[in-house]
Amino acid sequence: MAHVNVKLLGMFRLDTGLHELEAEASYVKDLYPILLAKAREVKPGTQIKAADIDGCIILIDGKQCRKSTKLKDGQTVYLMSPVCGG
Amino acid sequence: MSTSFGGYMGKVVELDLTTQQAKEYPWTDDDRRLFVGGKIMAARILQSMLTGSESPFSEENPIIISTGPLTGTGVPSSFRFNISSLSPQTGIVASSNCGGTFGYFLKKAGMDALIIRGKCPDHTWLEIENDKFIFHDADEDGLWGLRVMASQERVKELLEERWGAKRAFGQMVIGPAGENGVLYAGIGSDERAAGRTGLGSVMGWKNLKAIAVTGNHEIKIANPKKAKEFNKKFYKKLRIHPLTGTQLPRMGTAGLVSSMQMRGMLATRNFSDGRFDGFDKVNGETLAENHNIVNKGCVSCPMKCSRTVNVDGRPVKGPELETLGLLSANIDNDNLEVVLRLNYALDDLGMDSISAAGTIAWAMEANEKGLWDNGLSFGHVDELEQIFDDIAHRRGIGDELALGSKRLAEKYGGLDFAIQSKGLELSAYEPRRAVGMGLGYAVSNRGGCHLNGGYLVILEGLGLFVDPQTPKAKADATMMFQDLMEATAACGMCLFTTYMFFPSPLITRPNSVITSTVNKVMPHIGAALRGINKLPQIAHMHLPNLPHTKAFELVTGMNMTMGDYMERGERGYTLERHISTKFGVSAKDDTLPKRLTDEPQDPSDPTTVVPLDTLKREYYHARGWTQSGIPTTHTLKKLKII
Repeated sequence: MAHVNVKLLGMFRLDTGLHELEAEASYVKDLYPILLAKAREVKPGTQIKAADIDGCIILIDGKQCRKSTKLKDGQTVYLMSPVCGG
Repeated sequence: MSTSFGGYMGKVVELDLTTQQAKEYPWTDDDRRLFVGGKIMAARILQSMLTGSESPFSEENPIIISTGPLTGTGVPSSFRFNISSLSPQTGIVASSNCGGTFGYFLKKAGMDALIIRGKCPDHTWLEIENDKFIFHDADEDGLWGLRVMASQERVKELLEERWGAKRAFGQMVIGPAGENGVLYAGIGSDERAAGRTGLGSVMGWKNLKAIAVTGNHEIKIANPKKAKEFNKKFYKKLRIHPLTGTQLPRMGTAGLVSSMQMRGMLATRNFSDGRFDGFDKVNGETLAENHNIVNKGCVSCPMKCSRTVNVDGRPVKGPELETLGLLSANIDNDNLEVVLRLNYALDDLGMDSISAAGTIAWAMEANEKGLWDNGLSFGHVDELEQIFDDIAHRRGIGDELALGSKRLAEKYGGLDFAIQSKGLELSAYEPRRAVGMGLGYAVSNRGGCHLNGGYLVILEGLGLFVDPQTPKAKADATMMFQDLMEATAACGMCLFTTYMFFPSPLITRPNSVITSTVNKVMPHIGAALRGINKLPQIAHMHLPNLPHTKAFELVTGMNMTMGDYMERGERGYTLERHISTKFGVSAKDDTLPKRLTDEPQDPSDPTTVVPLDTLKREYYHARGWTQSGIPTTHTLKKLKII
């Protein structure tokens, strides 16, 4: 298990009010239930589902990753909802 | 000269400010078929009026205010109008697009477009009611000298006094920047602005402070019942699309700051880097959490992409992404409240916030490098509100800053880091991490503009994630997106509606096999894109994810397949280029500063530059232009430009 810092951006952050947390996990996908539980703790009644997290772009050290990516100690994982243009 | 088509008013008016005479400009249904409206129509009119010897500040330079056939017809997001003229910033043809209600009221006055020529002898504001043009003294009426919001309030007061009642009308005004010839002065309309390319200073040079317009003409629709039904579906599509229905309404364009940071494309310290340590203090999330009061949008638009924020206890329009990035990361400022205040000050002074902020960033670097002792430095923002006021009133160093980064660099040195193309400062996307966007900035008809450049950044990291460093297929995709947006703007619709082009699953499932495959395959379909670009008529259909063409048919009664639509876009794009070539524009002007083409953003990764020569070669070939960047006679004839 790796100790990582998870930062949330985009709609997911606005919907949950959750900015960041530290977590122990082996793979990115292991973070999902932790995030869901924390989001429901911070904002009871939130409609966030696992699929919403699955729809996030995952970036580790600026590189796009998959939910199957193995985590390493000390990494910062950004989860960002899809974006658009301006 | 009437029209058999719906959506159009059937009249273009030419008004001479010098003689105060108005006459009808000949514009036929054949012209409408070929040149649609908006910026393409304006380009066609400019083609007939400009020879290549005119100066932006001259009586011979017209200002053309034009609407699209869909403007104000009930089609979603269709309250746009266009202003075209020779730009004092670039010296060539420029267009600037604006939301708000002015375009709708111009049509209510019975006009598709208004051509303004000549020059008022004194400071003037213009009232238009149907076919009446009434000239008022802007000094006597206490209008000249006012800022943008105060000007609009004053025009409202004056009209209510004259009319003896409150009536709906549209207006466009300039602020002190336009009055005083700031080369990047914009034009304000409601809370919106035709900000780019300095057309506010052309209005100021003509001594024209404001135009107010109203009327009681009916905008006829060819198939009103079917159009109404179809518009409901169009609205629904916009509402359920993840970009136009969720992201833009919830976060506005400011929502891009974080993703640009993640992708290394957030312009930082005058584009010397693509990541900013303080991004989380100035991003769209923080704006939404701590500063946003309410979302606003244009009439008939479900996106409501504009933010209303609090500045000094007043609710004012918040910043768009470009200004947010350029007034924060690009000048090393992580204080969002300062950004909000500066953004509002620039809007109210009537200045293009992109060019103003870009010029300041260049000046900060020039000062730090010892090229120009101006007192400005990165991270020091306390004096900027005063500096912007000085620019608008041409005081102190503001008098020089009013010229923009290119002219200043030509005087003091530092062209390699003057982040502009053709004299127009780039917006906040750092193109060394999105090389297709780099091409777009360089070849854009109006200079360093992300939208006129084709906005390839949406493929290269902000919607999809096609390899941002490869030049493959980028030239063809740039042409396709430019043409699509050109046609959309000409119709009077918001460019953001074109984001529906991307099927929702590609956006909502960025990690899926399908999305990954699209990202990987895209660089290899250049030949297919080239085929469509060469023969757009093969798309003899309507696309379900781009309802624009069907809406166009129902409003106008004119046939418009997707292929026709793309052809109109190509015609408009090449036409603007053709006019600019009369003013000497060629490949030598399709450039970027050396910082972006020769200095890798990541010194350990030589691919983090814009390979501009390669991209331009492909682009000119795709467009049917010579390698000198000149449209060939064959291309001009094929597009019925000559």
